[in-house]
This record gives sequence, structure tokens and C-alpha cells, in this order.
Amino acid sequence: MPDHAPDPAAGERIFWAGGCASCHASPVDGKRAKGDDKLLLGGGLELETDYGVFRVPNISSHPGDGIGEWSLVEFVNAMQRGVSPDGRHYYPSFPYTSYARMPVEDVMDLRAFLDTLPPVEGRIAPHSLGFPWSIRRGLGLWKRRYLNTDPVTRAAAPTLEEHGRLLVEGAGHCGECHTPRDRFGGLVRERWLAGAPNPEGKGRVPNITPGGKTISEWSAADIAYYLESGFTPEFDTVGGTMVAVQENLAKLSEEDREAIAAYLKALPALH
Amino acid sequence: MSYLKSRSLVTAIALALTSPLFAGDDPVHERHELMEGVGDAAKPVGQMLKGERDFDAGVVMTSFQTFDEASARFGELFPPGSESGEGTEAAPAIWEDRAGFEEALAAWADAVDAAIAANPQTLEDTKPVAGEIFKTCKGCHDNYRIEDE
Repeated sequence: MPDHAPDPAAGERIFWAGGCASCHASPVDGKRAKGDDKLLLGGGLELETDYGVFRVPNISSHPGDGIGEWSLVEFVNAMQRGVSPDGRHYYPSFPYTSYARMPVEDVMDLRAFLDTLPPVEGRIAPHSLGFPWSIRRGLGLWKRRYLNTDPVTRAAAPTLEEHGRLLVEGAGHCGECHTPRDRFGGLVRERWLAGAPNPEGKGRVPNITPGGKTISEWSAADIAYYLESGFTPEFDTVGGTMVAVQENLAKLSEEDREAIAAYLKALPALH
Repeated sequence: MSYLKSRSLVTAIALALTSPLFAGDDPVHERHELMEGVGDAAKPVGQMLKGERDFDAGVVMTSFQTFDEASARFGELFPPGSESGEGTEAAPAIWEDRAGFEEALAAWADAVDAAIAANPQTLEDTKPVAGEIFKTCKGCHDNYRIEDE
């Protein structure tokens, strides 16, 4: 672990960039949490996918039911290696393959912020997955193939694009929905951010490379404004699962959103 | 001349009778057109807020008036039986949670009323009142609109 004093305020930025609350905040009356309820990370959301039902765990600071007792090393291992404190593999529905690309200092800051949030009681039932996905040990092989810390795109010097790359490829884990998966559920890097079937239902998650049908018409300023306000250049509003993502990204700085836009504009155009 | 005139009148009546826009019995189509108009009116105001277009108080007020007319009419266009058809994006929640839907519409109308009353003459004065209107767009779409995928 690097010699870094964890900073909860810096961790809050990572918390919103990563959208932790979108999955881990306890649903309220069956609907996704809004406002301050997003800070109650008791889990319980159910993700219905082709692999089965994933149940999102409690990551609040509760000592027994949440992750309050975890050491910092255990937290970093969970986030960046997909390993639990008792040595089990996590399913990649928890997108540690993206978080593996985060600077470890950001992960340390995130933990410091999570420690400031209230404990929430309640343990969540395990996932219900179909065979062969139910064999957790198989994930060891899966990780050999799909888990690494290499950037997806070639990193430039510390430019705005590089700043955006860290957010998009790392904490923001945009590729987890916007990139198609192969038959083992690994991301197809050749089709990075080029759009994919919706993992949670019908329809498609759009192509957000400069070759994408809609986004190709947008300027970098349009993308940044969309992430800030939720309005497209045609003044339609953001929809679907992107609503929660946009609301999280609205909490970042203008520079962060400009960086995300600059990165997306610099991608190769895929069709 | 009178022949021509009467023929164009006949055409107009025929159009009025066949076009759902005027028929009043096709709420799915009518609310779609109305909302398209709202989007068209929002666009220039949004562009001014983004600094992509020169400020024009007259254009802003025209847009506010379009919102005003639309917000007064919109709630009537979701009668029972209009839940589906013509690729509607209306969510079932409109009929399941009518009170919540009406409340969201009222929030829109209130924000528009406030903006018209403010009658902003500068970009600085437009930003907060238009921002309040735009917030209500999203507030309603999040709960009462489904995605066209």
C-alpha cells in the first residue's frame, strides 16, 4: 500500500464517479433511493440478468452486516482484485475489472468516505445463479482471462483525455454496460464502448464512441452539459438506467465532466 | 374564384376530419405532438443557457408561453384506454399513480407561471427561472415515461 493519507472529501468524488449508490443504496418502497437515502448503503437491490439474480450486498459501515470491520487492505483487495476478506472470488457484477484500473490512492480515499456514512443493519441473501455460473470457483479462471490493470485505450501524457480515461475506464466503469460481452461475460475490448445489449432487459445500451448514431452529432460541450443537466442537445431528457448515472456525474466538477467528454471524443469511431 | 375557395374549404374540412391532430379523439398522437412542441421550444432557451445562442428575451417568452399552453392541456391527454399504441412512451405509472402524475404536472405549470411572472430581460435573470422549469421536465420523465428502445 502506498504512503497516502486517505482523504474522505476526495473519496466523495470517487463515490459519485463510481455510482456506488446506484446499486448499493437500499431501495425505498421498491424504488431506487433518491437524495440523502443514496447514502444508506444497506444493499438489497436485485439485478435480474441472463446469469440469474444478483443480490447487491450491504457495504455500509455496519460492523457485522456491512463492511465496517474490514481493514483497508481487505477493501482494496475487494475493489481491485475481486477477492473477499475470507478469500472468495466476487462475481464481476461487482465491476472490479474496471476498478482494477483506478489509482489505489483513490480507492483508499473512497474507503475513508464510506467510513463517514451511517451503518445500516441487515444482511442480504446470496445470489441465485444458474449452472454453471453458480460455481464460484470458476471465477478464478475467468479472472485470469478478463482481470488486468492495463488501460483499454493508449494513455497519453497527463492531458484532459487522460484525466477522463481514469474516470471512464476506472471508477466510472462505463464499459460495463456500454461495451458488449463475449459468451463468458467478459468485455470485448475491440468493441470498447461501442454499445451492447441491455444487461437488465430489452433494448440496447448506446454506442458512445464518435461512431455512435446519436453521440456523433454531439460536441464535447454537449456531452459535458448532458452529464451535468440530463438534457440532450435536442433538449430531451436522459432516460432509463442512465438517469441514475447522470445524477451521480452531476455531482462531479465541471472539469471532470469535460474530461469525460474529451476522452469519449478521442476514442476511435466504431460503428 | 368562389369555386376554388370552396374547394380549398372542403379540403381544409377533410383534413381537419382525418388528421388526428385536429380530431381530438387521438390523445396518444396529440400528446406526442404537444410534447414535441415543448421540446422545440425548450431548445433555443437551452442553447442560450449554454452560451451557444445570443440571448433574446422575446424568444424566451414565446417558449414560456408554449410551455404554459402545453402544461394546461397535457393532463387531459391521458384518458383511460390510451395506455398504449403508436409507440407511446407514457409509463403505466401515469394511470397507476394518477395523483403523483398530476402533482408532477402541477410542478411544471407552477414553474412556468413563475417564469412568465418574472418576465426575464437578461440571460442572468432567465437562468434560474428556466432552470426550475427544466428540473420539472426531468422530474416527470424519470417516473412517468418509459424508454423508446
